[in-house]
Amino acid sequence: MIEATVQLLATALALGSAYALTALGFVLIINAVGAVNFAHGDLVMAGGFVAVALSLLLPEGLPVPGLILLPAVLLTMAVGGAALAAVAYAPLRRSPPVSVFISTIAVGLILQHAISLGAGPQPRVGPSLVGDGLVDLLGAALSYQQLATIAVAAVLCLAVHTLLNRTRFGRQLRAAAQDPEMARACGIDLRITIGATFALAGALAGGAGLLLSNQYFVTPTDGAMFMLKAYVATVIGGWGRIWGAAVAALCIAVFEVLVAAAVSYLVAEMLLYLGVLALLMLRPQGLFGEAEGRRA
Amino acid sequence: MTARLALDGLTVNHPDGVAVDNASFACAAGEVVALMGANGAGKSSLIRAVAGADPVASGRVRLDGEDVTALRLEQRVRTGIGWCPEGRRLFGGLTVAETLDVAATGLARDRSRAADRMYALFPILAERRGAVAWTLSGGQQQMLAIARAVIADPKVVLLDEPSIGLAPVVLDDVFAAIRRLAESGAAVVLAEQVIPRSLAIADRAIVLRRGVIVLDVPTARIDAGVVASAMLDGGSGGA
Repeated sequence: MIEATVQLLATALALGSAYALTALGFVLIINAVGAVNFAHGDLVMAGGFVAVALSLLLPEGLPVPGLILLPAVLLTMAVGGAALAAVAYAPLRRSPPVSVFISTIAVGLILQHAISLGAGPQPRVGPSLVGDGLVDLLGAALSYQQLATIAVAAVLCLAVHTLLNRTRFGRQLRAAAQDPEMARACGIDLRITIGATFALAGALAGGAGLLLSNQYFVTPTDGAMFMLKAYVATVIGGWGRIWGAAVAALCIAVFEVLVAAAVSYLVAEMLLYLGVLALLMLRPQGLFGEAEGRRA
Repeated sequence: MTARLALDGLTVNHPDGVAVDNASFACAAGEVVALMGANGAGKSSLIRAVAGADPVASGRVRLDGEDVTALRLEQRVRTGIGWCPEGRRLFGGLTVAETLDVAATGLARDRSRAADRMYALFPILAERRGAVAWTLSGGQQQMLAIARAVIADPKVVLLDEPSIGLAPVVLDDVFAAIRRLAESGAAVVLAEQVIPRSLAIADRAIVLRRGVIVLDVPTARIDAGVVASAMLDGGSGGA
């Protein structure tokens, strides 16, 4: 019994840490530009495919293929995020937020179809982070992949936290998110902060894509599901609260995995969305409350 | 001598018409100009246009003789304009120290030295340096808003109704601090509605009524009653 519980928790935490990275990037963009990036899920999917593609270039038999590729995936997807800002956000920054919804949906679909054309619609397997192997914990056999996924996500979250709170650039990003005009009045160029936020969000999405691509595979149509999870995490965590969304994403995964194990995955999904509906009606500010200030 | 700040025929449009109509005045280094006017007279529109937050329809803004009208807000503040907007508009989630660090310029050492100057100017901020901005009292928030506007040592300081929401005893501190800014060499434009206090620290009073400058005189030569009646439509009435 204990073994099974530990096993399930490890699975849930590994899935949840990838969801948390996804939600983190998603909320950073909401905060920075007051608009929802509907291509975010497709960035996660694209990150998975970048990891798959790059892994084909690596020689066989490396001990830690995923870990070696991680910086390259983060960098590629950071560039992708910045490109998304240039294409789907910058030209529309003076338009109502709904135009950004539509432009990001369009970019997401283009990404999905382009990858489908290039790589085919079938699921692909990404590289494992540190190779295959099992660790024994309280009688449960935990895979290296699960433990490494949790560790990598924790390190990336810590890096984001450090960037936002311990560096001047991070403080500028936060100032620009809270009051763009007053940030400009402090000499901050919003094109830089917004571009950097999209790049950061892209990198986090790419990291999540790499982490998920090994155990859960990656398919060109996966974007919508990732996007929905990030959106739900944002609703639960409180609109605009970045760590609220990350924690909520982790909780979503724990809930999904436990309910799926006890009943079925379909029931888990159904209960999750029922819970979100109830939350929206009873506590629209989210479980942790809305971040002070304006709403997107 | 060239004025620190000069406005030549500044006209600012508003969705419902003209907000500021052909306004011209100058402000010298070390001088406090009180820009007086009732609600909706165009004070904020004028201040926002000078800061670069809103576009001007016509006219020029010059800083030490240099035309800065074409510069965007973030570029214009770097030429030496500090703007403390109506309603303070602090970065709610940033601490006092973080706010000052974001607004200061230069390397970490320069920024921390600049923050120390602000703590000397507003000692209460030093005590609250770790506090998140939205947890500060109204007076502390106003001081942080002013410190944020002046930490980069601007040549021109624009203050938009700093008195709003402050208790009289706090107002004394804030207005004394504003006077000290001018004494340290800045040209200060103070948009206000509270007449006696503003006149007490200002060198000149400019009255704006429905977007038009109707009075521009040294404060030594007028009293509060004159300003109050100029602020009101029709030019009659008292304080």
